[in-house]
Amino acid sequence: MTITGEVGAWNARGNAASAVVARGLTKVYGQGDAAVHALRGVDVSFETSAFTAIMGPSGSGKSTLMHCLAGLDAVSGGKVHIGDVELTGLNDKQLTLLRRERIGFIFQAFNLLPTLTAEQNIRLPLEISGRKADQDLFDRVVETVGLRDRLGHKPTELSGGQQQRVAVARALISKPQVIFADEPTGNLDSRSGAEVLSFLRTSVRELGQTIVMVTHDPVAASYADRVIFLRDGLLVSELMRPSPQSVLDTLMKLEA
Amino acid sequence: MLKTTLAGLRAHKLRLLLTSLAITLGVGFIAGTFVLTDTIEAGFRQKFAAAADKIDVVVLPAEDGGRERQAVGADLLEKVRGVEGVADAQGVVRGTAALIGKDGKAAGDYPTSAISIPEGRLNRTEITGGAAPRSAAEAVLDENTAKTRGFAVGDRITVLDSKNVKHEFTLVGLFDVGVDQALAYSGAVGFTTGTAMKMSGEKDFRKIDVAAAEGVTAETLRASVATALGTGAQVETGAKHAEELAAANGADTKILTLGLLLFGLVAMFVAALVIYNTFNILVAQRTREMALLRCIGATRRQVFGSIVLESAVVGLISSVLGLLTGLGLGAGALAVIGRTGLDVPTGAVALAPRTVAVGMVLGIVVTVAAALLPARAATRVAPIAALRSQVEEQTFRTGVVRVAFAGLFLLAGVGATVLGVTQDPGEAALFTVMGGGALTFLAVLILGPVLVKPLSALVGWLPGRLFGVPGRLAVDNSQRNPKRSATTTVALTIGVTLMTLISVLTATLRVTYNAKLDEQFPVDYLVASQGDQGTLPRALAEDLRARPELASVVALRAASAKIGKHGEFEVGTFTAAADFTPKAATGSFGDLKPGTAALADYVVKDLKVEVGDTIAVKTTEDGTVQLKVVATFLGENALLPEVTVPEQDFDGYFGRLGDGQIIADVKDGVAEENARRAVEAAAQPYPTAKVSSSTEIRGEFDEALDMMLMIITGLLGLAILISLLGIANTLSLSVHERTRESALLRALGLTRPQLRRMLSVEALVLGVIGALVGVALGAVFGWAATTTMTTGVVFQLPVPQVLAFVALSGLAGVVAAVLPARRAARASIVGSLASG
Repeated sequence: MTITGEVGAWNARGNAASAVVARGLTKVYGQGDAAVHALRGVDVSFETSAFTAIMGPSGSGKSTLMHCLAGLDAVSGGKVHIGDVELTGLNDKQLTLLRRERIGFIFQAFNLLPTLTAEQNIRLPLEISGRKADQDLFDRVVETVGLRDRLGHKPTELSGGQQQRVAVARALISKPQVIFADEPTGNLDSRSGAEVLSFLRTSVRELGQTIVMVTHDPVAASYADRVIFLRDGLLVSELMRPSPQSVLDTLMKLEA
Repeated sequence: MLKTTLAGLRAHKLRLLLTSLAITLGVGFIAGTFVLTDTIEAGFRQKFAAAADKIDVVVLPAEDGGRERQAVGADLLEKVRGVEGVADAQGVVRGTAALIGKDGKAAGDYPTSAISIPEGRLNRTEITGGAAPRSAAEAVLDENTAKTRGFAVGDRITVLDSKNVKHEFTLVGLFDVGVDQALAYSGAVGFTTGTAMKMSGEKDFRKIDVAAAEGVTAETLRASVATALGTGAQVETGAKHAEELAAANGADTKILTLGLLLFGLVAMFVAALVIYNTFNILVAQRTREMALLRCIGATRRQVFGSIVLESAVVGLISSVLGLLTGLGLGAGALAVIGRTGLDVPTGAVALAPRTVAVGMVLGIVVTVAAALLPARAATRVAPIAALRSQVEEQTFRTGVVRVAFAGLFLLAGVGATVLGVTQDPGEAALFTVMGGGALTFLAVLILGPVLVKPLSALVGWLPGRLFGVPGRLAVDNSQRNPKRSATTTVALTIGVTLMTLISVLTATLRVTYNAKLDEQFPVDYLVASQGDQGTLPRALAEDLRARPELASVVALRAASAKIGKHGEFEVGTFTAAADFTPKAATGSFGDLKPGTAALADYVVKDLKVEVGDTIAVKTTEDGTVQLKVVATFLGENALLPEVTVPEQDFDGYFGRLGDGQIIADVKDGVAEENARRAVEAAAQPYPTAKVSSSTEIRGEFDEALDMMLMIITGLLGLAILISLLGIANTLSLSVHERTRESALLRALGLTRPQLRRMLSVEALVLGVIGALVGVALGAVFGWAATTTMTTGVVFQLPVPQVLAFVALSGLAGVVAAVLPARRAARASIVGSLASG
């Protein structure tokens, strides 16, 4: 409990420009004896135009935290704000529309619809919400991730790295308030992984995008501006301007 | 391996149930058919056996070289009565004697039957009210006729004898016709034996019923009666005769059984397609499971065995359920038959061992056979597949072999169809076309996966634009596994093809028939003697000719006569009228002068003659006459007698016979009801003269066609239902397969209703594709089939009906998608993303 208080204090700093804020977040799976407390009261905020990584050992609740923040999963207690919208009171339809308008996603695998071409996949979120793609933005995004000559290909004709780059482009194209990335490099070799991570960092630097990334890879986390650490459903530590080594050290301390 | 399979089945009870349902319905239909017909047959057997109890020995007409003589000579009765051991013998009389209804016209479309009702224990009929007739002034009626004609015991009834002379009787009782369908149809009047012979004009008996004296066995009596009668008659025990009657009746129910089984087999074929598809998808989805089994040491044979075993269990369970369904269906059908008031005797509803055997074997064999190919595919799964994280999409490429095979079948199919269509109408042509249809269908079946893509692009064009992203995704999804989509839709195609074929057939026949009636001559009224039996006095036609409301009146007369060595033909004539000139196919009716004849086309074929040849007709008044053939005409759509001679000649050949039919045309400008009144008034003095109008005739024909259409559509409905189960099954398995994809779409902002819509549109596209192919095939082969049935076909495509088929198929597809779509929309996004 002492650690929670400490972290809470850290987070209180400078959240005037926060894209995502969670207060007293709890998540319980199951009931009675079988109840699993995945989140035990998490207070955290994510600054606008920042690249934040969420880390923690397996079972620490990092994926659950991301799902709750993104409105993919209902919380058991506490509040989540995305910009000025509070997620916790919304019904499924409102949540869906919120995801459509304000959130981008990059998953570890299975990011793309196999029936659509790369270009169709990139444009999919806009099409679903019936918005017109900004052609300049589209060109810039495609240029950034280097997919110009791959646009007409189906996902099965793309390498794993290319598929993730399509996913990044898709997340960027709708200019969401925040992009949630769940182990985006988990399935990639280190070179492709590095590529994808630098695209993510570039999009934060140049497009002012806000990104929250869940990862268990210290190297991946080191691309972020800030790393927060979870253990047993609690926020336990935080690191600004991380290096792979400093992330690894913090993790070692947590595992001990 | 056995344990693994069974555990797998237990774990997926719902999947098992859905898969079973298709087979359950098919087996249920077949078992239901057997239950229904068995029960009816048992009922008949019971009744026949009960009737036979009263009679020990029956004397039947002697068999005469295959041609049965219709009657037992009246003189035999005394001989039988004289045989030792005979307690009683009664001749059975059966003829016609028309009952006059309260309106003064003969009752019903057919004259009532006249039967003898003997006294004593040999009375076969069951008197249900009043008493049996005891004197020549008394008669009894069957219950149904009495009820519909409004007669009660104590009334006076009028009956025509064979010469159309009226006789009055006191109605002393009512009786039940029992299992005698002919009596039930015509209605019957019962008299004492003597009166029955007088009224019907029958000189002989149908058979003689004999009762044994006490202590004499039926077999002994049979032997002594047979000895006494020699070869003059056939003598049988009552029990054996009852068995023969029951067997003859069984032959009738056999046709019903065969007809119903045909539909059952269509349903089973559709079910087999559904099972094949289901197992294919299951195998595809369980690739990793199979690979894992292979990794831990299962042989290919064991993997194959596990799938086959699974199908056998599914087959077993669904067959058992099917038998129960059949029992229910059979009982339900009997209840419906009972409610319609049809007098069908029924025994206890039961599953015969044969029904159980056929149902079980068929169900299991079809299921296992349908699963064989998928099981073989399962053995091809490499152990390494267990380690791959993502299941690869099956890609489909149009193979050369596939196209070549489809081409061959198509060529053969089209060839056979063209051959059938160009042949003369007849059974051979019809069967050729049917064969062509089957071959073409096989070609479509093989080509299905190739056709799916363009067709779904076509069908999906509108929904893709109407429903935005969900619509477009749905169309893409319907194309992504062409093999699966093709098999799913082909199941529906079968039903729709047959339905379209039948509706094209009925519509075309209807219009063709009407066109032929019109072309021949517009008959407004037809006056004929009741049931086409006997003739009408010529005075009736004279009276009609005198009516100002009528334009032309033609009387047709006919008699039966031998021509050369060719057997009996209908030789007749027509009276001349101003507007009536029959159409000749070859030659001319203008040449129909004394000593000539015009022949129907089929008679020309039978006699192997042509215009200019001479035929020898054996007349009753003028010996054998030589007639020159001057014209031929299309027999099937002419009212003319098949051998038509000039009017004066006919009287000379056969005497002044009455008119068989009179056709009358209404003068232009005369109101329908006035004309009708005139014709009715002319016919009123002749009780047996029945008036019908062309609209009535068409109405009856239409009704009969509509009835047939309804029954066949209803029976085909089962095949359609099964194919819908197939769509539901395919969709729910696809939904399962695309769990993560759906979750991704939901995460990206697709709402639940949009996700549901996506699946509905996919089902809609599948349904409409199946229907379109079915409609195309059905229309083409419906047309081909009609050309083999008759000439001068006026092809009709019942557009509203066909559109309705397409619309209903689409709608049905959407309905089939409801449950899978709901399940997909309800799934939690997080859980679904993690799975797979």
